[in-house]
Amino acid sequence: MSKGFASSYRIVLLAAGVIACFGALGVRLVFLHVIDREDLIGSIERARRQIIPETARRGDILDARGNILATSRSLIVLGVDPQVLRKEDEAKWPELAQLIDMPYGQLARIFTTKTRRADSAAENEDASKLTIFSPTPAPDATQAANQKSDDTELDEAVDENGERAIRWAKLSESVTESTYAKIQALGIKGVYGNRVYRRAYPHKTLAAHVVGYVNKEGAAAAGIEAYADFYLRGRDGWREGERDGKGREVAQFRTREVPAADGYSVVLSIDAAVQHMVDEELDYIGQKFKPKKATIIVSDPQTGFILGLGNYPTFDLNSYNRVPRDQQAVMRNIAVADQYEPGSTFKIVAASAALNEGLVTPASRFDCSLTSIEYKGRVRGLPAEDHRFHEPLTVAQIISKSSNRGAAQLAMLMGEQKFYDYARAFGFGELSGFPVGGEIRGDLAPPEKWDGLTITRMPMGHAIAATPLQMHMAMSVVASGGLLLRPQVIRQVRDANGEVVYRYGTISKRRVITEQTARTMCQLLQSVTVEGTGKDAAILNYEVAGKTGTTQKIVDGRYSNRHHVASFVGFFPASRPQVAISVIVDDADASVAGGTAYGSSVAAPSFKHLGEQLIQYLDIKPVYSPATGGNLVMGGNRR
Amino acid sequence: MNTSASHGFVNQLLVYTLVMIGFSGSIGLGAVWMRHQISITANVNRVLDARIAEVERHLAEATTAAETERDASVLLRRNAEWRLGLVPPSQTQIVHVGADPVLRLAAKRNRGLFGDGPATVSLPVAYQR
Repeated sequence: MSKGFASSYRIVLLAAGVIACFGALGVRLVFLHVIDREDLIGSIERARRQIIPETARRGDILDARGNILATSRSLIVLGVDPQVLRKEDEAKWPELAQLIDMPYGQLARIFTTKTRRADSAAENEDASKLTIFSPTPAPDATQAANQKSDDTELDEAVDENGERAIRWAKLSESVTESTYAKIQALGIKGVYGNRVYRRAYPHKTLAAHVVGYVNKEGAAAAGIEAYADFYLRGRDGWREGERDGKGREVAQFRTREVPAADGYSVVLSIDAAVQHMVDEELDYIGQKFKPKKATIIVSDPQTGFILGLGNYPTFDLNSYNRVPRDQQAVMRNIAVADQYEPGSTFKIVAASAALNEGLVTPASRFDCSLTSIEYKGRVRGLPAEDHRFHEPLTVAQIISKSSNRGAAQLAMLMGEQKFYDYARAFGFGELSGFPVGGEIRGDLAPPEKWDGLTITRMPMGHAIAATPLQMHMAMSVVASGGLLLRPQVIRQVRDANGEVVYRYGTISKRRVITEQTARTMCQLLQSVTVEGTGKDAAILNYEVAGKTGTTQKIVDGRYSNRHHVASFVGFFPASRPQVAISVIVDDADASVAGGTAYGSSVAAPSFKHLGEQLIQYLDIKPVYSPATGGNLVMGGNRR
Repeated sequence: MNTSASHGFVNQLLVYTLVMIGFSGSIGLGAVWMRHQISITANVNRVLDARIAEVERHLAEATTAAETERDASVLLRRNAEWRLGLVPPSQTQIVHVGADPVLRLAAKRNRGLFGDGPATVSLPVAYQR
């Protein structure tokens, strides 16, 4: 066997060297992996580990035809770290100021302010906490707090002068992607932005009270935004991994990852075109009559879905936080959050109930010239009339001519309890179930709390308070064939791929009157626009059914002769109702000739104008009477 | 002591060690190359993800801008600014036939039959209710 090159001495030396090296390596490994393990892992974790949150994109709110009413768009909150600014970049500051639309002086002041007193920073942090815990901070208060607290980030270390270094000062919170690309191209060191999704409302004031808004903290504060927040908000994701020496994510070392799930989209029954017509009409009413407030509701009476709902005054959803504190009433959804005495429009309850109970027919006559009447052994004073009726009126005439005394006598025929039951059945005194706007119940007292005059006053819409939507849905009972439907505004919920996740259908709460009674009421209400108080709501060639209302407002505890709520609530075509419209105008008296804002002169023309536009847009066909065939010479296949 | 046998063994050991070092080195290099490739792929994916997110952000921005321009009040303003003269259909532009259309068409046809004027409708009309 070959002896080889190695001598015994060399072999021992080599072996000893190798063993020593391995031994040293082993000792070092023991130190690294056993003795110093915790410290080393801790420092590595601190230096390299990171959890990166992934923000889910909030879903869109769409109208019935797919128009986007609310969406999320990426904006950049731009800021600067004044500590790392370079002298040579100063020449670029004016251009930056121009790009973000900020006065140069203000920008230069932010850039050159390097520190802030530590105690003032602490105060600002407190202010910030207060803002966060406030459930609905006042917009201007929020703004002020944000000015103080969210604009800067300070270093934790306090210097010898009691000041902390500013590490980030906000320059703008709404820089678009394209503008940010230009800013990055400037290459100013220390100027950088953080991407955030912010809510945008492309149609501004359109359906503002229904859509609602998301506040600057990202919390859904009102409207569908708040009601459907569970669907809209999605689920934020995150990933855990490591970063390199420059702070960049080392993608191959991701250990855990939970992807963000974007929010669902909500499709409303609101139609942007119908809503625009509603808003235009409200603008017209606002300009012409200068009312205190007004509301218009348009719905499909067969399904209960709302096609348009607008209030006057209104506000721009994109600048909800700029509404002055003393004008925040504009953000109330008057249609559901305010109540009023419905006045003569409420007469449909007494008439429908009496007809439904079989107590009267449309031809039954009542003496409406009486000023008092005996009821349950006591003489009750009847309410005053706007017109003098010398001859007894039929039930049809009581409706068309809006007789207060006639309505009172109809209610008396039924008695308090029965009349109250019908009023409840029509949906008064209970929540309609409309999902947004902070709906109130209205005010319908039970019979045991009525005084002696209530049975004569409530049938004409006094001694009761209802929301405009309650009155609208009550009229829709007649239009729908006797069913009280739940007013709805959400049609579908769709996932991020556009697949329908949930579809909302018609919800019938109860049957209030029979179909036959509803048909009869349709005919009676049609006469209102043909020969009654609502002639100004009539639309040529269309059967319009409806009821006017003029309610005296209670001012200082008394019914005022100078402040009224004018309303017209109706639907068409009467024999096959396709659309129900309510127009309610509060306190338009000052701008009306004669000083009294009647429903017939203020609300009815708006109903007509809106109805004419809806006929075009929704392609509503006139309904013709069945052909008599008497003069039809041509034969054919007719039945 | 059999030195020649131990030398032979050591020589073999050295050779095998060198071979093993070379082999394991190759495996190590392969593993490093693979990890490098994994890292490159992961980074490419990260960049692509970022790019997709950027495109989606731009898309959202463009969609918002487009939707804002589609607002009815903006369209009405543009109509006025550009003098397009577009008007929505109104009731006055439409002539409604109040009577039953079958009767109306029949009457028009029958006018010709009875010689009180030229027939304006020559097609037979069938109307199924």
